[in-house]
Amino acid sequence: MSTPVLQLDNVTMRFGGVVALREAKISIAPGEIFALIGPNGAGKTTVFNVVTGVYQPTEGQVLFNGTRIDGTKRFKITKLGIARTFQNIRLFHNMSALENVMVGADAHHKTGAIGATLNLPWHRKEEKRGRELARELLDFVGIPGRMTETAKNLPYGDQRRLEIARALATDPKLLLLDEPAAGMNPAEKEALQALIRKIRDSGRTVLLIEHDMSLVMGVSDRVAVLDFGQLIAEGLPHEVQTNPRVIEAYLGVSEDAS
Amino acid sequence: MKGNGVTGNANPLRRVGALVDGARDWWEHAKAWQRYAVYLGAVVFALILPAPAIGTFMSPGSDWTTVLIYPIGTYILLAVGLNVVVGQAGLLDLGFVAFFAMGGYSVAYFGTEYGWNYWATAVMGIAMAAVSGVILGAPTLRLRGDYLAIVTLGFGEIVRITANNTDEIGGARGITNVPHPTDIPGVVDFGLLPAPYYYLIVIAIVLVIIFSVRLQKSRVGRAWAAIREDEDAAELMGVPTFKFKLLAFAIGAMIGGLAGGLHAGRAVFIEPNTFPFILSATILAAVVLGGAGNLPGVILGAFVIAWLPERFREVNWLKDLLGRDPAEYRILLFGGVLVLMMALRPEGLLPSRRRKAELHEGTGGMGTMGAEVTGPDTDVSTEAAK
Repeated sequence: MSTPVLQLDNVTMRFGGVVALREAKISIAPGEIFALIGPNGAGKTTVFNVVTGVYQPTEGQVLFNGTRIDGTKRFKITKLGIARTFQNIRLFHNMSALENVMVGADAHHKTGAIGATLNLPWHRKEEKRGRELARELLDFVGIPGRMTETAKNLPYGDQRRLEIARALATDPKLLLLDEPAAGMNPAEKEALQALIRKIRDSGRTVLLIEHDMSLVMGVSDRVAVLDFGQLIAEGLPHEVQTNPRVIEAYLGVSEDAS
Repeated sequence: MKGNGVTGNANPLRRVGALVDGARDWWEHAKAWQRYAVYLGAVVFALILPAPAIGTFMSPGSDWTTVLIYPIGTYILLAVGLNVVVGQAGLLDLGFVAFFAMGGYSVAYFGTEYGWNYWATAVMGIAMAAVSGVILGAPTLRLRGDYLAIVTLGFGEIVRITANNTDEIGGARGITNVPHPTDIPGVVDFGLLPAPYYYLIVIAIVLVIIFSVRLQKSRVGRAWAAIREDEDAAELMGVPTFKFKLLAFAIGAMIGGLAGGLHAGRAVFIEPNTFPFILSATILAAVVLGGAGNLPGVILGAFVIAWLPERFREVNWLKDLLGRDPAEYRILLFGGVLVLMMALRPEGLLPSRRRKAELHEGTGGMGTMGAEVTGPDTDVSTEAAK
């Protein structure tokens, strides 16, 4: 078996007396769409924060393509190839859609103050490439023609797509989506499902947090269930769906809703 | 947003404000040749500005060209420098005068003690200011908001007090006989006449503006804007935030150092009290009053802040009205005008659209990571704001 893209090795995350994550073991294979589900406060976003370097795990290791990344600075983790979106949208609200995506693209650019002030050729080349990439990505996520719009003036669903475009601009091998369907209508959710598949098909691995069960069951290859910081089940979507512990903790409540 | 477009028409200053906003919209969609025409117009304007005909109105009490160099030109240069730090990167710096002092003292010290060529000392001044910016920034830029402001405030005072207590650089007596800029034979002689210094500072301002605009439009400027809006999100999108904040500090410091070097080369004499805290505050006021983050605004702000106290030295109708010299009251008048302007245009005289919006939102983005409990209200408000 090939090296997993992401591996959480007995990761525990403690905040004072609160254990947000207890000895979590997750392993995601390349090209997978992996969903992380669980009731509110189960520790799903904590997983994202540990993986992207926002938190350093109290115990355990995080491995990305076999290399240890816990304790690495956040922007370096992004450069290594992990990008994320946020549960509550965190775009650069007053920048245009295009500029938002270009910030992501800049992650791999080298221009510094000197190149920019002297308007050196490679700076111009990078700018041009960044702008082209941003255009392509806005097209890819399905919001072309919105380039000059200020981010906060975009409709909610488009803001979520813009966040995905911004994350994709950093050219991630692993993309973390934190409740991408929150606040979307059924049509938008369907389009999102297609988009997530398209992202996977472009050679990336996707780790997804989502409450919308039809989306999770429809799109994911494997599902892990967190409850009170503990991994209580993992497997194929239909296996998880019928697991009695999961039904008890989670699906038993939300089955009616979905 | 809050209805000032409708009700504000009764207020003449608001109407001026609407005109200004209209000009900004025009500028955003202006064609390249139109922009170059404006640039050319600005340069021509700067060249004829010292004309006596303008001077008699602008500065009846003192020599207009001298006023144009100091305080006006120097303040503009300093404000453009501080704008990089405050306006673009969103870092509150209350000790900017320290870098002005670094430039001034470098020019004075290396010029008098070692007899260096002025231009070499000026470059040295810029370098020294940059180094001191990095030395100050490296340990402190991990702080945010208020804490950074306090540390920079302290730094400004430390530099001044150190200069005051160091005999090597003249102590409280300062340094006299700082050499003038070296003459460029056949082109320009730097002597006691103010005109060459004026054109020198105009060149410096133009260069600094060009650099500043280019930075703003580049990856560097985008990174600064991203940091200003949401530092955590910026870091997670691959922006090395600490490095870019340090860069903003260093670039701002270099511009401050340049201004200091120019000042020392003309004034011939500098002392610790040339660099008081109040100057930091004044330049910050210029940046905020003009509209932080927007260069034309910042330049206008610096001009107003530098010019008004000079203008108030000679106001004849006030002299008749009060029966005594208004020069004694000029700072009071100045303060009144500042309060009035901030009350009428709280975002600054010429704010950038983006900064204006940020100010209305309140925070510069100390948001949450998502693990905390977050209500849907933030999203609702952005939806409703459309």
